[in-house]
Amino acid sequence: MTLEQRVIKTLKDNLEKSPEISLESRLLEDLLVDSLDRMMLLSGLEDEFSITIAEEDFAEVATVSDIVRKLKARLSD
Amino acid sequence: MYLHDFYSRFTLDESLAEVTGFNPYYLSIESGLEDKLMVNGARLINLASNNYLGLAADDRVKKAAVEAVQKYGASLCGTPIATGYIDLYKRLEGKLSAFVGLEETMILPSCYQANNGLFSAIAGAQDLIIVDRYVHSSLIQGIKAAGCKIRPFLHNNLEHLEGILQRSTGYRQIFVVTESVFSTEGSVAPFQEIVQLCQKYNALPVIDDSHGIGVLGKSGRGILEEKGIEGYQGIYTASLGKAIAASGGMISGKSALIKHLKYYCPHLVYSTALIPAALAGIEAVLDIIDTEFGLLKKRLTSYQQIIYESLLEGGFSVVQAKTPINSIKSGSKENTFIITKKLFEKGILTTPFIEPAVPQGEGRVRLIAGANLSEDTIAEAAAVLKEMGRL
Ligand SMILES: Cc1ncc(COP(=O)(O)O)c(C=O)c1O
Repeated sequence: MTLEQRVIKTLKDNLEKSPEISLESRLLEDLLVDSLDRMMLLSGLEDEFSITIAEEDFAEVATVSDIVRKLKARLSD
Repeated sequence: MYLHDFYSRFTLDESLAEVTGFNPYYLSIESGLEDKLMVNGARLINLASNNYLGLAADDRVKKAAVEAVQKYGASLCGTPIATGYIDLYKRLEGKLSAFVGLEETMILPSCYQANNGLFSAIAGAQDLIIVDRYVHSSLIQGIKAAGCKIRPFLHNNLEHLEGILQRSTGYRQIFVVTESVFSTEGSVAPFQEIVQLCQKYNALPVIDDSHGIGVLGKSGRGILEEKGIEGYQGIYTASLGKAIAASGGMISGKSALIKHLKYYCPHLVYSTALIPAALAGIEAVLDIIDTEFGLLKKRLTSYQQIIYESLLEGGFSVVQAKTPINSIKSGSKENTFIITKKLFEKGILTTPFIEPAVPQGEGRVRLIAGANLSEDTIAEAAAVLKEMGRL
């Protein structure tokens, strides 16, 4: 699985009703992610990629591809 | 101008009330919870209160409250640790513990306050709290105040919960927090399984039984009785302002913990004790539940069924209910207000839920028919609901 696919699957597994998700999906407007969802998503990504994520680092991510970009930067550190 | 900037930050967005021509909040109620309720000068069928067993305006409860006022006055004007701890308070702690089948209980001014104060007294930075994503605001606020790692799990989803438990290592203590009955739509937590998972992973369960106490279980003792959970090792909280028909919040559990909290939970220690009228009312309600629960529950269940079927016949999309809560899936917040408004105009008071109380676009209109309502009133409500859908 590519990184993108892993991110999408993790998001799907950590949101109520497993919504359809693409890289362009906007967290707030399309996926209706609230603050608890956001916590759940970030923890899910922590598990999937065996990293710890500081919430502040991801505070301004707006779309799924923003998350991918952040993770790529993080994993190449 | 003095403080102008500060005060100009606080404006209320009333556009929803303007668009729908209705504001369901802070309605002025001009009577007690009798068969019908006086609201803005009109008599309404009350399907909005959490008065499940219908005991809030029961004559025996009123009498007990009045007698307590006569004996102790309106208030003891002291916190429980100081001069607020009357004999009635102590006796009630014992009765509540026996009622839910746990070792010891403390009583706070509200369950919001109980849930707010609990977690910072028992958890800290080295701990993890895993919490159902749909729990009540009081639990979320309380958990956030503890400053520990928080992981929400998908609503009532055991698989998701277990996955998180499996992967969570290195914490001093893990807590799993949920509610018995989720109040916006009446779903019930699979709490027996959650307790088992907690045992398997050495986690401590915390349950808020606010909408279960006095409602669930064959004698009304709540979620632990309902699920046949014996020797519960976790923590239990509940509101005394719903089926128990007074006000206040309880925290129950192992003796050593409650004894500790009675000195170290600031929300208890530094807050004026529950007033005598409330304490006596609760005691009277527990006595009534002891002798009349079967009858009251039967009425509650039958009313719920009648309302449920009427809603379906009226063409509403309704959540399949397992508790006395009926819940219309009303979608957008505008539609939620409009349904509430139409029902209001037809003489029925209900409770709308919009975000953030529910996820965006998943509005709910809640209807609870308390056991105090007469059969005629229920029939009248049923007729309105059936007709509504046809409009
Ligand atoms: C699940 C739940 N917990 C706690 C509370 C707060 O209880 P209280 O009204 O006693 O503060 C409520 C509602 O009021 C509730 O629904």
